[in-house]
Amino acid sequence: MQSQERGTIAAFLESAVSVGASSEEVAALIANTFTGVDQALVPIVGQRGMAALYKRSLHLSRPMHPWLPAAAQGSESGMDLAALTAALAARTSAEAASAGTQLLESLRVLLTTLIGESLTERLLRPVWATFLSGPSARDTTS
Amino acid sequence: MTSKAIINRLATGVPGLDDILGGGLPEFSFNLIAGQPGCGKTTLAHQIMFALATPERPAIYFTVLGEPPLKMLRYQQQFEFFDTEAINQAVRFVNLSDAAMAGDLDQVLKRIVDEVTAHGPALVFVDSFRSVVLASEKDGNPHNRLQQFVQQLGMLMTSWEATTFLIGEYFSETDANPVFTVSDGLIWLRQSVQRNSMVRKIEIMKMRGQPTLPGLHTFRIGTSGIEVFPPASVANPSDASVRAAASAPRLLMGVAQLDDMLGGGLPRGYSLLVAGPSGSGKSVLAAAFLAEGARNGETSVIAAFEQHPNRSRSRIVAELIAGGKVGLVENRAADLSIDEIVYMLMREIRRLRATRVVIDSLSGFELALAPTFRPDFRESLANLVTALAGVGVTVLMTSELEDRYTDLRFSPYGTAFMTDAIIVQRYIEVDSRLRRVMAVVKVRASAHSDQLREFSIDADGIQIGQMLAEHEGLLGGRPTRKPLTQLAPLAANDPNG
Repeated sequence: MQSQERGTIAAFLESAVSVGASSEEVAALIANTFTGVDQALVPIVGQRGMAALYKRSLHLSRPMHPWLPAAAQGSESGMDLAALTAALAARTSAEAASAGTQLLESLRVLLTTLIGESLTERLLRPVWATFLSGPSARDTTS
Repeated sequence: MTSKAIINRLATGVPGLDDILGGGLPEFSFNLIAGQPGCGKTTLAHQIMFALATPERPAIYFTVLGEPPLKMLRYQQQFEFFDTEAINQAVRFVNLSDAAMAGDLDQVLKRIVDEVTAHGPALVFVDSFRSVVLASEKDGNPHNRLQQFVQQLGMLMTSWEATTFLIGEYFSETDANPVFTVSDGLIWLRQSVQRNSMVRKIEIMKMRGQPTLPGLHTFRIGTSGIEVFPPASVANPSDASVRAAASAPRLLMGVAQLDDMLGGGLPRGYSLLVAGPSGSGKSVLAAAFLAEGARNGETSVIAAFEQHPNRSRSRIVAELIAGGKVGLVENRAADLSIDEIVYMLMREIRRLRATRVVIDSLSGFELALAPTFRPDFRESLANLVTALAGVGVTVLMTSELEDRYTDLRFSPYGTAFMTDAIIVQRYIEVDSRLRRVMAVVKVRASAHSDQLREFSIDADGIQIGQMLAEHEGLLGGRPTRKPLTQLAPLAANDPNG
């Protein structure tokens, strides 16, 4: 499912890569975006609901990026972003950007399946606006 | 000298609900929406919320345990009232499951206080409250803890000027639940199942300070949400019938000779019962009545409760419906309540500003009612006739009459007394043919013919002929020819001839 958001996520991360962002910087961008998603969704679905969505997204993305961290069993405390950041930072920045795009898009598609396009867009709009519209990583650090 | 507090009544946005609430929902009230699973509690809450919430005075919807929020959003957005753009603006969802799962009522209350303080909502919903109750049972003394919680919540919400709804499953109405005592309003939703029909009912068991309509009221859940059907008398307080009856020329039936028999047509605002056996021509007469209305520039509504509408509806009626001259109310599912039928009729009457109504037939109407209402059919019918009279329309109802030649009956329901006028149709046997006769039995407060006239049905409709003056014993079904000596004077002396 090709979407406008996927295009936005991919373009943003790819532009960061193209201007020479390190894999650590790409990993931080992705982790920040997930933090934004977490802030948008936890008030509505609760910690456990968010954790379930994140685990499912990881599960859906691992066939293409097997090096992504496996979802921790029995964890109810939300997303393990430290594990994600570490895994992303260990790859090349292009690989990290590709996996991050895949992961965020999986979560968005999952949410769309459950609650529909317009409500998903309504809930995640502030996240994309905050994390994907700013200057790229290289610009902020220079 | 201080004046009394003014209680604003909020329009709930649920059609019909404000009527049975007694004028709307009191502002800042503390309400309970109760009922068994699947009876529409969450839908009712959402519909009220989306109708009332604004960005300035938003709503907060706390989800506790029970239905996962994603599921709730998935299903509720199917309704037309669900406004995606309102989310996180006028409407805010807050999940309290983490605090509730820990069984910590203080923590739950603190989260509610924090959110209410931060956003100053006009409306607060807690769904489902039963899970709060269950969570509280983890503590030693559940009733005390719960009572404290509810007391605090009620006090807090009132002082924050928030109209509050606790949504919950309460299986026992007689349970001395402290929540019942504290709440200002108690809205109970039910499902009544009889055979394979299910009817939804709503009852306002309590609403402080206002005259609610007592009893169970039917409602339906459709794509636009919940629609409540208040009793007809409330829906139509009108003296239109009085005005209609007093003024204006009579309505013509579309059969000239029949108008003569009625004493110059049917008085406006009257209800007419056309009774007769199967195939005697009741629906043909009803079609003529509708066509005559259309000819005079009037609009009409027909309530068709037949099993095969397309087969039984005449070409004339079908054309009138297609042409917008006649509104159609039909339903073949056996799950209607009388209030819903009246509601549908009234909506069509208002929409078309109709002056004529046909109900074809009462037998089909009875079958369309949910089984749970059938024992009250006679009473329901009386309500229907009263309601229609209340808006001043002229009503023609057909009634299937089992042909019994031993007694003279007009309606199998004992409904004859409710109607202002009655026309009866019969079959008789003459010269080895089945022939039809018709008579005007009653026209309230009006002179009318007492003749029993033969009639036939052809391509142009009903043709009324002469009296069968040479025969007697017509109502027995097998008339005999009178002796010739009696014939001439009778026909000559009749003033209606």
